[in-house]
Amino acid sequence: MTKLWWAQIRSVIRLEMKKTFFARRGLWIYILALLPFLLFLSQFFIASRLRARNSEIAARSEKKLTEQDLHAIQPDMTSEEVIALLGKPPVRYRWNQRRRLDNGTFVVIPRETYKYSDGLNSLFLSLEDGKVVSINVQGFTLTGDSVVFAGVFQFFYLRLAIFFGCLGIFMNLFRGEILDKSLHFYFLAPIRRDVLMVGKFLAGLLATCAIFVTSELLQIIVFTGQFSPNVRELYLYHNHGLAQGAAYLGITALACLGYGAFFLAAGMLFRNPILPAAVILGWEAANPFLPALLQKVSVIYYLKSLCPVEIPTPPGTPALLSLLVSNPDPVSTPVAIMGIVIMSLFVLYISSLQVRRMEINYTTE
Amino acid sequence: MSAATGVTSGLTKNDRIVFEDVSKFYGEILGVNRVNLSIPPGVTSLVGPNGSGKTTLMNLMTGLVRPTRGRISVLGLDPREPEKLFKILGYSTQFDSFPKNLTGFQFVASYLRLAGSDPQTVEQLAWRAIEHVNLTEAAGRSVGSYSKGMRQRIRLAQALCHNPRVLVLDEPMNGLDPLARAEMIALFRAAAAEGCYVIISSHILHEVDALSDQVILLSNGYVVAEGQIHSVRNEIREHPAQILIRCDRPRDLAMKMMELPQTIEVRIHNDDHGLLIKTKDADRFYLALNHIAVNGIEIESVAPADDDVNSVYEYLIGNDEVTR
Repeated sequence: MTKLWWAQIRSVIRLEMKKTFFARRGLWIYILALLPFLLFLSQFFIASRLRARNSEIAARSEKKLTEQDLHAIQPDMTSEEVIALLGKPPVRYRWNQRRRLDNGTFVVIPRETYKYSDGLNSLFLSLEDGKVVSINVQGFTLTGDSVVFAGVFQFFYLRLAIFFGCLGIFMNLFRGEILDKSLHFYFLAPIRRDVLMVGKFLAGLLATCAIFVTSELLQIIVFTGQFSPNVRELYLYHNHGLAQGAAYLGITALACLGYGAFFLAAGMLFRNPILPAAVILGWEAANPFLPALLQKVSVIYYLKSLCPVEIPTPPGTPALLSLLVSNPDPVSTPVAIMGIVIMSLFVLYISSLQVRRMEINYTTE
Repeated sequence: MSAATGVTSGLTKNDRIVFEDVSKFYGEILGVNRVNLSIPPGVTSLVGPNGSGKTTLMNLMTGLVRPTRGRISVLGLDPREPEKLFKILGYSTQFDSFPKNLTGFQFVASYLRLAGSDPQTVEQLAWRAIEHVNLTEAAGRSVGSYSKGMRQRIRLAQALCHNPRVLVLDEPMNGLDPLARAEMIALFRAAAAEGCYVIISSHILHEVDALSDQVILLSNGYVVAEGQIHSVRNEIREHPAQILIRCDRPRDLAMKMMELPQTIEVRIHNDDHGLLIKTKDADRFYLALNHIAVNGIEIESVAPADDDVNSVYEYLIGNDEVTR
């Protein structure tokens, strides 16, 4: 019997994949999935241009500079001291600024900007009357960029892109067919309704995973691609970069599983998808403010615990925002994975009971 | 008013489609009410005006909707178990929508694949069903590009493809041209001759007449009559039976007919070569006619004039929304 069920599930997946991947009305899901990729891709191009510019500046320097050299400059140092430390600036601008004094008279102050680079980072110095008044070191800091990546992942990709993508795909598995008046095709076949539901769910899961995991993989590739080979190697092999990348891919797949199960059930229970979507979105957003027990009945609770990079909250951040960002009571990785899997299986079990009771009654829809 | 029972009395519940006190309400709207049926093999037609409950009855039989009350069994199977039911049943619905991006062949083949058939069987059965409905040339085209008649035929192919013992066909002739209709009627009759249960709903009464072994007449969600047409007609006592007699001397025959106590009315046919007689007891009338015929009047033919679905329908339901 199991062999027959698998054959039937494969047939359902085949039919559903055709519909999901080639549906014109699903175009917005692809756009949603690709938005962060496009963001990191543009960052990749900007970073590449900056790196090329920095290399050019470094090549024109009198001395071969290191990052420590760039950080050695202090305010109020004279231009001579700066040149003694770093050599003649490869990029230098001079001009005179006319400034009004308190007594109403005008003075002319000589101004300069210097630009140095070690090939990766760049140093901008602003000098007034031969003294350093402003120091700006810009560079590709792994820690900073991986926090930005984590922020985009947690606050856009998980909570919006995957959430609404799963809504679009899983809710349509049954509700879309009712609207198209084509569900009877499945209900008139010699296949158990719960086997049909499993087939449809797996098709949805495969489709969402293919779309969102692929997009996440592309994001990781372009994100790491912005660094120089040395930095990239350091990040991937010595700074948990590979593990973090794998975690992001796994979390994406688990998010598709969890949200998929909820939206499949919602598509069977509700005629209008906006209402359950709003309720689930509200519930997920309100998760940090819920009592401890209720927090566990949420997909985002477990996903947040699995996120590999914690997003720091700067001092002075409003308490409400801090609560949204932080995860004060994370669960261990195995517990989080099991939590999502068990919750999804439970929701699917409820859906299997519902699908057996479903009727085809298009005329009253 | 069940006459079908007597004809196939040797059949058990596992050999019939049985409705036991079945009611279906859509909220407060009545679908069907207190339906008791026992449908034997052969062609059974569901006849009734729009909204009489024909499609609801078919949907109940196939598990697409569930009864509010009562029990249904299709050859001993529960319609709530599609994995068993649809191995023996094929349903061609009136719903004119299809899964997207499928060709005619893929539509039939995917149904067979859902049933778990192996690729070779799928190929063989799908092509055979498509040939049955004469759609071989169009099988590679998208169903979306089909005409109404072609869509009707591909639905029939899907219902037929797995050789079901029970065929449920909701308005199967809709959109078909006269030739295709004749072919379909032959197809259904052949299936019935092989012992299949063919349940058909139709508005077109002369087709029902040509097709059916028994009829189920529905009105406002109630079964008003069920059984073989002749038996149903005999049960309608308030409308006298009408008999058309073709003979050489209609006026002489009319005189003799008027002497019979069971004769109610005699009318001479316009062409002066026949009589239309109304009688309250057709069986006794036929016996008496035998004696009269012996006495020198040459009778060419005797045929009931209202022993058809048309008349039965009109007597029991009226003539709303039905095409003759």
